[in-house]
Amino acid sequence: MPNYMLLLHEQPSDFSQYSAEDMQAVIAEYVAWRHSIESQGKFVHAEKLKDEGGKHLSMTDAGLRVTDGPYAEAAEVIGGYFAISADSYDDAVKLAAECPHLKYGGRIELREIEPTG
Amino acid sequence: MEQTSEINNFVGHLFRHHAGKMAAVLVRHFGVANIDTIEDAIQDAMITAMKRWPFSGTPDNPTAWLTQVAKNAVIDKLRREQKTVTIDDLEFAQEITPASHFEGEIDDDQLRLIFACCHSSISPDSQVALTLKIVCGFSVGEIARAFLSNESSVTKLITRAKGRLRSGEIAFEIPAGNELAERMTPVLKVLYLMFNEGYAPTAGSEIVRRDLCSEALRLAEHLAQDAKTTMPQVHALAALFCFHAARFPARVGSHGELLLLADQDRSRWSQELIASGLKHMTASARGNELSNYHLEAEIASVHAVAASLDETDWRRIVECYELLQSRSYSPIAELNKVIAIGQIENSEQTLDRLDQLEADGKLSNYFLFHAARAHYLADLDRIDAALDSYQRALSLSHNETTRRLIANKIGELKGDRNEHTI
Repeated sequence: MPNYMLLLHEQPSDFSQYSAEDMQAVIAEYVAWRHSIESQGKFVHAEKLKDEGGKHLSMTDAGLRVTDGPYAEAAEVIGGYFAISADSYDDAVKLAAECPHLKYGGRIELREIEPTG
Repeated sequence: MEQTSEINNFVGHLFRHHAGKMAAVLVRHFGVANIDTIEDAIQDAMITAMKRWPFSGTPDNPTAWLTQVAKNAVIDKLRREQKTVTIDDLEFAQEITPASHFEGEIDDDQLRLIFACCHSSISPDSQVALTLKIVCGFSVGEIARAFLSNESSVTKLITRAKGRLRSGEIAFEIPAGNELAERMTPVLKVLYLMFNEGYAPTAGSEIVRRDLCSEALRLAEHLAQDAKTTMPQVHALAALFCFHAARFPARVGSHGELLLLADQDRSRWSQELIASGLKHMTASARGNELSNYHLEAEIASVHAVAASLDETDWRRIVECYELLQSRSYSPIAELNKVIAIGQIENSEQTLDRLDQLEADGKLSNYFLFHAARAHYLADLDRIDAALDSYQRALSLSHNETTRRLIANKIGELKGDRNEHTI
């Protein structure tokens, strides 16, 4: 089965007004989604990217330019990623569509991973 | 499906419960005066969990994880403010790792924290709001609902109260002597409100937030057992909780619907909790003190020991309501009294009493009043009027499960009427 990468784009939000119950509910949804992927044997890997810090690198005429990101240019950042295996793009879309990230206003970029070796 | 509900149970209400437990542990280590830093750190730890756990999965010991993260955040903040921090990391790590003796210590810390929140320098309304916020992990919105207030008033109450905690004049201890009795009143009121919000949530879809009730019951039991805090009215409150909690298994039908007292299968009531309630009742009778909790517990006990609705000692219940009303009048208790009298009198008489009660206008926005009225109207075959009242009740109820119950009643009545016309 090919592997797919789900890049979770999100807008940085302020959660300071979230109640304990609200946060509990968010986690429960993600855990349930992840569990359903795991139970189909399609979970590969997931990682959260740190919110703070982040750099943008580019080469200019004056040489290497390093700016602080990730918020410098985009209103949106990648919060983290999930790698899953799926039968096909259709199947991968089906699995990604269930991700609570979409419900909370985030965007998912879905890409097939080129097999190495 | 089963797995999903398993997960939901696993994470359960951990955050709210553990927000309270974390607060107790952290206040013991860092002091009452640092309450703002501690609360922010708890909120940040929960936000971190919310952002990280979807990717990393839930840690094996979520409480320990959260407490550790919150502790580090407190230390960082205090260091940035150039305050000296000394904390034995090893000791702390052992403390937040579940061990048999630990839960008891947290119970003690939570009681100390409740007493700090109920200090006499804090106004009564603020005491309750503050305790629900810090000890019970309620959000401002949830407190506003429990209080029938709005969020900005609750925020004001809490901000003012936290100023007192920050002053550093409030100790983290269970008071003694005369002070204890005085400070017990708000402590018990807080537990009462907690249980109430769990028993009949004002909004949302859950009928019984059992965990909130069991949390209130647990703290009441703890106060009742502790040699320093055991008092007749503490036992009365614990008894009241036990009797109500005993009915939980019978309150929800097979389709998740709310069942009224008349429709409950009494064999499903927890005899263990009823026995525990009766034990607390006995203990509450020591001394000459009579509190509202004594009377409410007695009403609940009459229900708990009755074999059926018809075999209930309604006269005793009416007497208790009258005593309650003579101590402090409440239109809602008056409504309950009229409904109890309705079990003795006929529907016509009860309807008259309800109409008299409506005259003072205090209950015109209370859904249960209209639901009760609808019940007696339907009993007298005044179907259209009954439907009107049920519609009114429906428009005033914000709890999903209660709304479903009322909608079912409306459906049944319409069905009956159609049968008659055919």
